[in-house]
Amino acid sequence: MELIIATLTNLLILSSMYILVALGFAFLFSMLGILNLAHGVIYMLGGYIGLSLIMALGLNQWLALLLTTLIVATFGIFLERYCFRPFVGDFNRIIMICVVLTVVLQTGVNIIAGTQILSLPPFAEGIFRFGPASVSYERIVTFAIGAVLLLATTWFVNRTKWGQQMQAISQDLEGAYLQGINVHRVSALATFIGCGLAAIAGCLMGAYLCLGPFMGDFMLVKVLMLTIIAGAGSISGIFIAGLILGSLDSILPLLVSGAASDATAVGILVVLLLIRPQGFFGHEVEM
Amino acid sequence: MLLEINGLTKYFGGLAAVRDFDMHLDDGELLGLIGPNGAGKTTIFNLITSIYKPTKGKIIFDGNDITSKKPHEIARLGIGRTFQLNPLFSDFTVLQNVSTSFHLHPKSSLPDIYFNTAKYRRNEAYILEQSQEILKMVGLDKVENELAKNLPHGYQKMLGIARALAVKPRLLILDEPIAGMNPSEIDFTLDAIKKMQQQKITILLVEHNMKILDLCERVVVIDFGQKIAEGLPKDVRENKEVIRAYFGGERVT
Amino acid sequence: MESRFSIKGRKELARPAVYVGLAVIVALLPLFFGSPYIHHMLILTFIYIIAAVSFRTIVISGQFPLAHAAFMGIGAYMAAMAAKWLGMSPWITIPLSALVTACIGMLIGYPFSRLRTLYYAMGSLFFGIGVIQIIYAGGSWTGGYSGLTGIPALLPATTSKIPYFYFFLGLALVSIIALYRIEFSRIGTNLKAIDQSHVVASSVGINEGGYRILAVGVGCFFVGLAGAGYAHYNMVLSCSSFNFMATLWLVMYVLIGGVNSFAGPIVGTIILIIVPEFFRDLKMFSPFVTAVILGIVVYLMPQGLVGLPQLIRSKLTEHRKVKKVNHAS
Repeated sequence: MELIIATLTNLLILSSMYILVALGFAFLFSMLGILNLAHGVIYMLGGYIGLSLIMALGLNQWLALLLTTLIVATFGIFLERYCFRPFVGDFNRIIMICVVLTVVLQTGVNIIAGTQILSLPPFAEGIFRFGPASVSYERIVTFAIGAVLLLATTWFVNRTKWGQQMQAISQDLEGAYLQGINVHRVSALATFIGCGLAAIAGCLMGAYLCLGPFMGDFMLVKVLMLTIIAGAGSISGIFIAGLILGSLDSILPLLVSGAASDATAVGILVVLLLIRPQGFFGHEVEM
Repeated sequence: MLLEINGLTKYFGGLAAVRDFDMHLDDGELLGLIGPNGAGKTTIFNLITSIYKPTKGKIIFDGNDITSKKPHEIARLGIGRTFQLNPLFSDFTVLQNVSTSFHLHPKSSLPDIYFNTAKYRRNEAYILEQSQEILKMVGLDKVENELAKNLPHGYQKMLGIARALAVKPRLLILDEPIAGMNPSEIDFTLDAIKKMQQQKITILLVEHNMKILDLCERVVVIDFGQKIAEGLPKDVRENKEVIRAYFGGERVT
Repeated sequence: MESRFSIKGRKELARPAVYVGLAVIVALLPLFFGSPYIHHMLILTFIYIIAAVSFRTIVISGQFPLAHAAFMGIGAYMAAMAAKWLGMSPWITIPLSALVTACIGMLIGYPFSRLRTLYYAMGSLFFGIGVIQIIYAGGSWTGGYSGLTGIPALLPATTSKIPYFYFFLGLALVSIIALYRIEFSRIGTNLKAIDQSHVVASSVGINEGGYRILAVGVGCFFVGLAGAGYAHYNMVLSCSSFNFMATLWLVMYVLIGGVNSFAGPIVGTIILIIVPEFFRDLKMFSPFVTAVILGIVVYLMPQGLVGLPQLIRSKLTEHRKVKKVNHAS
């Protein structure tokens, strides 16, 4: 019974975290055809900045979370303006700039934190008991934050003017320009939100699991997997893909040994990409 | 018969771009395919050269069923073509565009190419010479070292034709060869087409311009993916169906 | 407008005497630099030059596989395992595993070649990750997480790396010449033609599918060769040398050097491996130097490092033109 609850909560948390980070990646991918290979280190950056704020300024973790989000999200605006916008459509230069970003940010983190495993203090303490079962408050709170943010983002994309402009851009970039949509401003906003969400996920995962020098790479792979399954331009696709991946990652390790399950997951994905490269829920991306 | 098309049909989703289209082409003929925009002319060309796969129907070229062959195999059998939007090897020079197109004749094998054998060098020298002759024939010899992307539009279209000729085609398919050209370029192209006719190249072309159509020995008219008329240019021009397709009703004289 | 394939002044550089001279200078380097560490860095440079140039051979056909380091890993592990478990001589395993790598590349490349650039890149990225996972899962056969040790060496054991230096110099020269021939023959022209317009290419009879697979096969052969050579030199293999980051670095060597020039990958590899060595004293901060180089090239040099002479020349002529205008008015 304990195992079931633990696995279920783990599944929900992993899924929601994957989706949070993948949304930011998907915005840039759907709208501008940009493969932001540096999104993983942005996620990692969030976690480490959060920890630094807590340790250096003695803030409590909630304040640190808020501040980190603002810092990283603002950094995202800078990224979009100076690192991505000049190279839209130029696949080679995008890869190059992502490598530059990864090197700079990863080195920065290594210098500040070294290669030791650290973690953030938990966002909630204590255990919640219901009947014979129990769940840690930390898990509940982590998932709750994730769920709220996901709902808010969905509402934003589907119901606000900005969100609809984002959808328009992802369907037809030129058409959106011609309709008078300020593509630059919308992209900046999307990157702001996307990086902010990634930063929050970084802090939450930093508390739930830990911070490590490879967490960026790990998350980037998950995000790419999600994007292959989901395709571009579909939020619901990302949700479903996130759930699938979260389920696989929480259930498979109980059944099969680590490396073999990873290899099978990757193999399945390659086959999926060959059968249906544009994903199952979205549309093709023009470059 | 050089080319025979039977019951050609192509559906894109639920829309029939071409439906039950029949046509034949004899050796040495110059045939024009005309019709209003969107009638399916370029689709038919793309079906012949296997850029699209037909939903139904057969295409037979020189006795071979080419319906399911790949585009490069069709080129090998002797069909060359130009394209409406005229893609080129834009970062190659004019000369390189044509010499690259001599891939098939003479054909050097991979080992010959890689080890720079005497046969390969001979072939390349021959190709260079032939390329320059083709360029002279279409009037592009003065610009042979210009990059294709820097050429003015009319020259680019001529380059497209030059490239198609390098395939030494028995059947040459021209998709709107003079669209966007100025009058002197048009006259030049008409001359080139006449010269090709003299060389016994069978030509199938799509055009809107009446000047070219008068060159044609026979004209096929299509609308909404189906053949609506066929015959001599002057007969077709008076055909009621054709007039309705182009002008939507009786022509007001 | 310039052709993206021609960097001005290439004619001047094409004289073979210059290259022979360069090769001789490089061959004489061990006389001036005796430290084994420098020899090691140069050997690695030769190995990565082979990998980078072979990557570019694939790229000129319009395909951009993000798995090249993984193929290097396939070559390395195949050779290592064949030598260690089957007792084959390294002189056999090296060319053999290059062939196997080429075959695997072509097998994978066949279904992938239909994908468009973006999806091709993503798919190959995952293939690369999958290869690493398989190596991890290989247990004691591949050394799993801890790496494969005890690989038979290519040359008899000595303390000096100089024999290896000359072996890899030779291997690099042979590979460069072999790949040069591909690029500047009709084969290379056909590949570039397919990249510019595959529709036109197939309409003139070029078998675009076949050529694409050929490009991948050739590229994988040489990177497998480099990997196998590395295995028998280093005698120890670790998966992390062939992961996605390693592929990205190979890609950077090519892009930074200049993707539109044959010399690009060579220049890029040399600069990105050798220059950071001068800043080793910065320890943890040395990657920033690399990042600065990368940033300068990305923002200021669209043609990569090989385009630098042309860039300087055009800036100078611009400057002179402006001066003339100012004088005239």
